[in-house]
Amino acid sequence: MKQMTEVQLQELEQDLDTIRDEVLADLGERDARYIRRVIRLHRALEVGGRVMMPFGFIPPIFVAATISLGLSKIIENMEIGHNVMHGQYDWMNDPSLHSQTYEWDTACSSDSWRRTHNFEHHTYTNIIGKDRDYGYALLRLSDDKKWHPAHSLQFLNYILLSVFFQWGVSLHELEFERIRRGEVRLRDKLPFLRDLLHKGSRQAFKDYVFFPLITLPVAPIVLAGNLGANLMRNLWSSTVIFCGHFTQDAETFNEKDCENESKGHWYLRQLTGSSNFTGNKWVHLLSGHLSYQIEHHVFPDLPAHRYPEISGKVQAVCRKHGIGYNTGSFGHQYSTVVKRILTYSLPDPLRTKLVGQPT
Amino acid sequence: MMLARNTQTNALHWLGKQLFNRDDPAAFFDPLLETLDPMLVQSQTPARVEQVIEETADTRTFVLKPATRWAGFHAGQHVSICVEINGVKRTRTFSLSSSPELWSEQGLVTLTIKRLPGGLVTNWLHDHLGQGQVLGFGEAFGDFLLPDTPKPVLFIAGGSGITPILSQLETMAARDFRAPVTLLYFVRTQQDVIAEERLKALASRYSALTLNIIATNENDKPRYLKSQDLKAVPGLKARHVFLCGPKGLMDLANELLHQQGVLKKDIHNTFFSSAAPTLSSDLADQVLGGKVEFCKSNLEASSEGDASLLEIAEASGLKPRHGCRMGICHQCSCRKTNGTVINRLTGKASGPGEESVQLCISIPHGPVTIDV
Repeated sequence: MKQMTEVQLQELEQDLDTIRDEVLADLGERDARYIRRVIRLHRALEVGGRVMMPFGFIPPIFVAATISLGLSKIIENMEIGHNVMHGQYDWMNDPSLHSQTYEWDTACSSDSWRRTHNFEHHTYTNIIGKDRDYGYALLRLSDDKKWHPAHSLQFLNYILLSVFFQWGVSLHELEFERIRRGEVRLRDKLPFLRDLLHKGSRQAFKDYVFFPLITLPVAPIVLAGNLGANLMRNLWSSTVIFCGHFTQDAETFNEKDCENESKGHWYLRQLTGSSNFTGNKWVHLLSGHLSYQIEHHVFPDLPAHRYPEISGKVQAVCRKHGIGYNTGSFGHQYSTVVKRILTYSLPDPLRTKLVGQPT
Repeated sequence: MMLARNTQTNALHWLGKQLFNRDDPAAFFDPLLETLDPMLVQSQTPARVEQVIEETADTRTFVLKPATRWAGFHAGQHVSICVEINGVKRTRTFSLSSSPELWSEQGLVTLTIKRLPGGLVTNWLHDHLGQGQVLGFGEAFGDFLLPDTPKPVLFIAGGSGITPILSQLETMAARDFRAPVTLLYFVRTQQDVIAEERLKALASRYSALTLNIIATNENDKPRYLKSQDLKAVPGLKARHVFLCGPKGLMDLANELLHQQGVLKKDIHNTFFSSAAPTLSSDLADQVLGGKVEFCKSNLEASSEGDASLLEIAEASGLKPRHGCRMGICHQCSCRKTNGTVINRLTGKASGPGEESVQLCISIPHGPVTIDV
């Protein structure tokens, strides 16, 4: 990680706080209109998808219905749910958009997400051993983790995780690896498991039981379409999220360097541990503006549609302080993620021979 | 039959919760319905502005048509309304100024609202709320209610404090309430009389009513309520007295009524607040403030003096859900898990244990833990 003195870090903190304060002072009707428009789009896509699905015995309608429902889930999870739960719209004082009560359309319960993502991941971003999102305790993505023969098959694990992403995310808080190591007792996880069962079965009931059953003659088609829509959402959200912290130049940190860190140091870690990708406005909408992962990690509770507007200023701050700003095309960023998963599946001697020492 | 319908509604509600992941599933479709017709919205009871009447230079009456599911009200009650100003939902409470008869016969209610200098919501309502617009309408509440059976009544109103009394007078006239009724209405100048036409029309068609409008600031020396005004009311001691107005008038009226031998139990006060509620005097010598722990957010703050938990939370960077900020709407109700708070409005201390408190009117009294 780039070394900065406390004085430099303080200046970095002030520079970023200035950007944040400007946006906070300007929050208002424009932001409310934006999120309401996105919510209307979500409702229209979901209603459209559900209504079309029973007519899916006509192949083009099946495709349209599945894509419509899939897009609705993507938009709800990424641009609405994820961002609302970050408190981006709490200032609106609208009970249906409140961070602490919003419940999203995925197997992971919002309460569990608020603990593992909003608190753990955003506080301890990329600190190996503290940020359990780094590799999801499943993948070896840096040499901070010792190689184990099982890692050689980790690309398969990655594919499975992506396909079943909503279930992977919902199980995240179980901390299976810590239970196995005896650090946590399964008994202490019972309240979490009860919530998981409740939310998970609610989601499965909706997509795999209720909607197929009420359209009984065409139940297999509706079931297949709903599976397809969920798969679409799983693959896309997993890909977006992997591009956020596991690209080639996204840095990792060790626990010791981050003890009692200042706000400026936290900012530095967010800037260097995250990575963006470029795209058009639909790519940004569908990624919940996590394509601006750097801006999101620096300001997680500013309305996400503001990230493109402040990106220039954040880049200027990075240039001023000589901090890298990790961005590239979606294709490029994703290819470095795939490369990282593949190369770290190899034992270190073989990996260094193939790709050289990590810089 | 009723039971069957309830079971059916409950089952639908349960199903809606599963399908839409929310406790108010009917509101799932609001974003789409709203574009068709804002009156179809389910998340709140909508009310449409039918007409706006200019009362005085700074007071308007808004004639509203709430959705038919609104439960109605008794004369003298208030409602909280919700409007969105620059993206932020704001809740404020106003007295209903029409009679319940107008609601039951025509489905209309009125709110009579005065611009408060510097007030965000009242000024917005005057400047932006026009015919055809829709706002959120809460259920009526309040116990500033007329006696069930006709008894002599005295109303003392000041300024916009006339609003709940307008509703009561209309109701009494409509029900032919047969007992002497006197209204002492204090205004700054004759130009500030709210609903003058309505009051005069009431006085002429409802013979039991004696109307006395008193301008306080038309001469060099202010002309406030005095004992003679009360002595001139026949059978004062037997009257039920209803007071609504600014604090100065209320305090003075209570004192003079006491001197005239009117019993406390016969006096009904309702406050209207123009600013943050003030502390009652017996609070002054209490030790206020303390360490506040917001346990869900893992945050601690300390406070001195009469800052409310809501203010303390906001100063610490939290954004708890809130509404009226004056102890009425309960939007900000939260669990207090530990410690004692003092209710800013009543001056009473809470118990020490776990209970629901309203953040906006609770002042820490020693260390407090809040589930925020």
